[in-house]
Amino acid sequence: MTAIVRLTRAEFRKLATTRSYPITLIVAVGLALLEVAAVAMAAGRNGVPRLGSAAGTNQMLKLGAICSVAMLVVGIMAAGGEFRHKTIIPAVLISPRRNGLVLAKAIAVGAAGVVLSSLTFGLGLATAVAVLAFRHFHHLPADTWRLYAGSVISGTLFGLIGVALGFITRSTVAAALGAVGWVLFGEIVILGTMAPHLARWLITGASMALTDPAVPGASTLAPTTATAVLSAYALALLAAAVGVLARRDIG
Amino acid sequence: MIRVEHLTKRYGAVTAVDDLSFDVTPGRVTGFLGPNGAGKTTTLRALLGLTTPDGGTATINGCRYRDLSNPARYVGAALDNDCFSPGRSASQHLQIMASAAGISSRRPAEVLELVGLADSARRKVGGLSLGMRQRLTLATALLGDPEVLVLDEPLNGLDPDGIRWMRELLRKLAHEGRTVLVSSHLLAEVAHTVDNVVVIARGRQVAEGPVAALTASHHSDNLEDLFFDLINDRKLEVH
Repeated sequence: MTAIVRLTRAEFRKLATTRSYPITLIVAVGLALLEVAAVAMAAGRNGVPRLGSAAGTNQMLKLGAICSVAMLVVGIMAAGGEFRHKTIIPAVLISPRRNGLVLAKAIAVGAAGVVLSSLTFGLGLATAVAVLAFRHFHHLPADTWRLYAGSVISGTLFGLIGVALGFITRSTVAAALGAVGWVLFGEIVILGTMAPHLARWLITGASMALTDPAVPGASTLAPTTATAVLSAYALALLAAAVGVLARRDIG
Repeated sequence: MIRVEHLTKRYGAVTAVDDLSFDVTPGRVTGFLGPNGAGKTTTLRALLGLTTPDGGTATINGCRYRDLSNPARYVGAALDNDCFSPGRSASQHLQIMASAAGISSRRPAEVLELVGLADSARRKVGGLSLGMRQRLTLATALLGDPEVLVLDEPLNGLDPDGIRWMRELLRKLAHEGRTVLVSSHLLAEVAHTVDNVVVIARGRQVAEGPVAALTASHHSDNLEDLFFDLINDRKLEVH
C-alpha cells in the first residue's frame, strides 16, 4: 500500500471520528431546506418570482453558497484543527515528507465535499420538487442539473481552499476570518465596486457562475471556465500550503 | 543507533543547540539530561525532522529521519503528551495513527494493553488524566514496534506506580536490543532507569558516557550530584 493511500485512509478516519463534519452536514442540509421553504412561502411577493416559474424554481435552488461555505468550514477545521490540537506532530512524525499530508487531506476533504454538496443540494431539490408537486407544478427548469453539478463542484473546491487556508494560517479562527474578510471586503466590496469586470475572475465570482442560474446578458464566466478558474485557485493555494508546511518548524 | 554530529540550531540571536555531538547505542537506556532550556527538546525535534538544523546532522541508523520510508516502523517518538483531538477515544486515535503508518488494525489493542490502558480504550482523550495521556503517547510511539525509541520527558505526570512501570518498560525495551533515548529533568527518577547519560547545558555537551564511569571520574555519589557538578562546572566555564 502506498504512503498516500495509507495517509488518505487515516484522513477519512479523522473525518469520521470528529463531530465537525457531521454537524456541518446537518446544518448545511437544514439551511438548504429552510431556503427552499422560505422562497416557496415568499413566492410572488416582494419581488420574489412566482412559484412554478423557471425563475422561481431557480431561486429555490440557489443552494451552492451553502455548500461552498459549509465545505470551506470543514476544510479549515480539518487542517487548522491539526495545529489547534497539536495532532500535526504525530502526523508529521508518520509522514515526514509533508506534501503527502496535504495531498491526503485534500483528497479526503474533497470526497467529503462531494458527499456534503450532493446531499445538501439533493435534499433541497427533493424538497423543492415536493413543494412544486403539491402546487401541481411538475417540471423543472433546464438549468437544474447544471446548478446541481455546479454546487457540487464549488462545494468540493471550497473544501480544498479551506484545507489550504488551514495549513497556511495554522489557525481555524485566522483562516475563517481571513476567508470571510477576503470574500466580503476584498472581492465583493472593493473589487466588486471598483473593478466589477475583474470580480468574475475571482473566487466568489467563479463560484457564483457555477451555482447561480444563468442570467441572459450577464458577464459571468461560462461553467467550464469557472470550474477551471476555481480549480486553479484551489491548486495554487494547496501548492502554497505544501510550500509553507515543508519549511515550517513543527511543535 | 542514533548519531548526532555537530548539531547547531539557532532561533534569531539565541543558539539553542551549539555544535552538539553524541551517540546513542542499542541495548541501553540513554538519559538525555539538562536543565530547562538546555536544548534537549530542540535536539530531539531536529533528530525527528520537526525542525531544520542550521548545521550538523542527526541520523538514525545512518539516515536522516525524513529519509526513512515509513519511519513509524523504525522509530517511536513521544514528544508531547497533549497531541490528541480531545473528542476522539484512545482507540480511535491509535487506529488513525495505525492506518497512516500501514500498521495492522489489531496493533492498537495490543499497545493499549501493553501501556495499561485497555480498560480506557473507548474513553475520550479529553477525559483522560495527565498520566493516562502520557501512557497513550507512549502507546502511539510503540505502535510500529520500533527499534528506536525517542521519548521527551516520559515521566512527567506519572504517579509513583506509573514511574516504576515506565522504568521497567524502558529497561525491558532496551534489554530486547532497542535503542532508547529518554530526555528528562527528573534526575532521581532517571537515575534508576538509565545506563548511559548525555548531559547538555546551554546547547552544548557537558558529559557523555556510562553513569557509573562518570560518577566515579567526578567523585560524585550519584547521578544527581554528578549532574549538578557538571552543570556548575559549565556555568563557571561560561562566566
